[in-house]
Amino acid sequence: MSDRILGAVCVVASAGMAWAAQGYAAAISYEPVGPRAFPLLLAVLMAIAGAWLVLRPTQRGGAITLAHLKLIGGAALAVFVYALLFEWLGFTLATALMAVPVGMAFGGSWKQSLAGGAGLGVLLFVLFDKLLDVVLPTGLLHVVLGGR
Amino acid sequence: MDTLQHLIAGFGVALTPMNLLVAAIGALIGTVVGMLPGLGPINGVAILMPLAFALKLPPETALILLAAVYIGCEYGGRISSILLNVPGDAGAIMTALDGYPMARKGLGGVALSISAWSSFVGSMIATIGIVLFAPLLAKWALAFGPAEYFALMCFAFACIAGLMGDAPMKAALAAVIGLALSTVGLDSNSGVYRFTGGDVHLSDGIQFIVVVIGVFSISEILLMLEQHHSSAGLIRVTGRKLFNLKEMALTWWGTLRSSVVGFVVGVLPGAGATIASAMTYSMEKRIAGKDGRFGEGDIRGVAAPEAANNASAAGSFVPMLTLGVPGSGTTAVMVGALTLYNITPGPALFTQQPALVWGLIASLFIGNVLLLFINIPLVGVFTKVLQVPNWVLVPGILAVSTVGVYAVHATTFDLVLMAVLGVIGYLLRKQGVPMAPLILGFVLGDLMEQNLRRALSITDGELGILVESPISIALWIGAATMLLLPPALRALSHRRAAALAPF
Repeated sequence: MSDRILGAVCVVASAGMAWAAQGYAAAISYEPVGPRAFPLLLAVLMAIAGAWLVLRPTQRGGAITLAHLKLIGGAALAVFVYALLFEWLGFTLATALMAVPVGMAFGGSWKQSLAGGAGLGVLLFVLFDKLLDVVLPTGLLHVVLGGR
Repeated sequence: MDTLQHLIAGFGVALTPMNLLVAAIGALIGTVVGMLPGLGPINGVAILMPLAFALKLPPETALILLAAVYIGCEYGGRISSILLNVPGDAGAIMTALDGYPMARKGLGGVALSISAWSSFVGSMIATIGIVLFAPLLAKWALAFGPAEYFALMCFAFACIAGLMGDAPMKAALAAVIGLALSTVGLDSNSGVYRFTGGDVHLSDGIQFIVVVIGVFSISEILLMLEQHHSSAGLIRVTGRKLFNLKEMALTWWGTLRSSVVGFVVGVLPGAGATIASAMTYSMEKRIAGKDGRFGEGDIRGVAAPEAANNASAAGSFVPMLTLGVPGSGTTAVMVGALTLYNITPGPALFTQQPALVWGLIASLFIGNVLLLFINIPLVGVFTKVLQVPNWVLVPGILAVSTVGVYAVHATTFDLVLMAVLGVIGYLLRKQGVPMAPLILGFVLGDLMEQNLRRALSITDGELGILVESPISIALWIGAATMLLLPPALRALSHRRAAALAPF
């Protein structure tokens, strides 16, 4: 990705912002500046910054290898899946599961990563939920771990 | 002496067993987080902030915890700089230049102890600076009206864009993105929902914690994938553990000078530990002149930047406490933490919440003493942490970050939003867009809009009020200087370099 792409995305986003913001008006207004002005001002500033980057880019897109892209994409996907399954699977299981791809991306074998993740899942659950009273989802393990 | 009385009362707050314990825990966690390459004070404070809130710590205790983590990080960063030649956080980059060569010569223990000592001196001097100057500034800032506040925030953004180095336009863009994110949700003045897309989860706005954890913690994990470091190069500390009097005398004046410079740089919004340590390193190098062996393991090159980065961290509390306008990304996160408690930092804080302000200041003194004791004898324990493999460490960071976000609202929506913001933050950082202005924009967005609208309400929409008072005029001029001066200086030095070069 180069600065030009970033700038273009910003210009498009600012147009979207301006389009969405133009309808914002108070039913009854008590003040000279309503809810529309500030977002519109920001949209203009964002468009200027975006246009600047398109016209005067300082950074060209670096070469990204496919292996690299896979690594980053995989880690990002793992974060998404973790977020989605966090409540349903419960903290302990979700953490153990998440640790496999993330740990492997950071050089662990799958056995090491799974063991590490399971350890983290149990340890952090006990620390936060039991000792510190930060309620965490128990999910599928609610029979074993008790609680909600 | 009003200040002295307040300070004594502050020590009363900071010395309660609970707050002492919290400060000690914060100092320990801070040292570890600061030491780990890739994780800096912002990450540490961002990860602990939601936990402090979820643990239902009272506001002053939460703030003491976060402050201890912040200054602890500034201590911790030096450890990996010296032993691994990989700076633990941005403020410790300069420390590696001479610290690592010292460690290779077998003087690792001396480098670690002298840098802990100079960190302590820097922090202490800057904390005394807070005590002396913050109440004055707060009294003066009470006279600020909405127009002055609006100008002040523009000044803060100008500072951060101008001083953030090579790409001011990207810093400005980051600030605008942060401001735009802050407008999402219900506009309290008019009852209009903005940018929610009809989603109930967004009607309250985007949670501060989600933004902070997303753009700092999650994106950091993705960035860490590219810069694998290993603890293989870790140098064992052998020989003398403590510096001697001769070494202390050699570094003493440099440490004092660097502390004062660090404090002043820290007070300026936008200029943080990184700039302070780089400035003082080159300053000391110039002062040492011919008899300096900077870059080859000169002890003065270790002491000066460490004193400066700690002093600037403490200094950045001044604008946060007195003006409510944070001077660094880390203090911006703290302002966000205070707003979770419905406390708006600003000049009124000194009169309305003296226990909070002075308790925090007193805890900085206590935290520094704790950190000095933690950092000299226990340094061997910390280096063990550097040997924890990344395949456990990174899932751990991700899990704790997610717990923090979940603890606030307990919704999957927030977790997914965290992941989305994390990926966006990664892409932006990859493209050289700094995240500190973004978080500053997000924290200040509401305040900025409210002050603008309030100012314009006074004059019924007339824009002239924004440049009416001498204070706001001075702030606008300051903002323009901050934006225009660095590029002008750079152009000038380019021309000079071009004139010197043969072709």
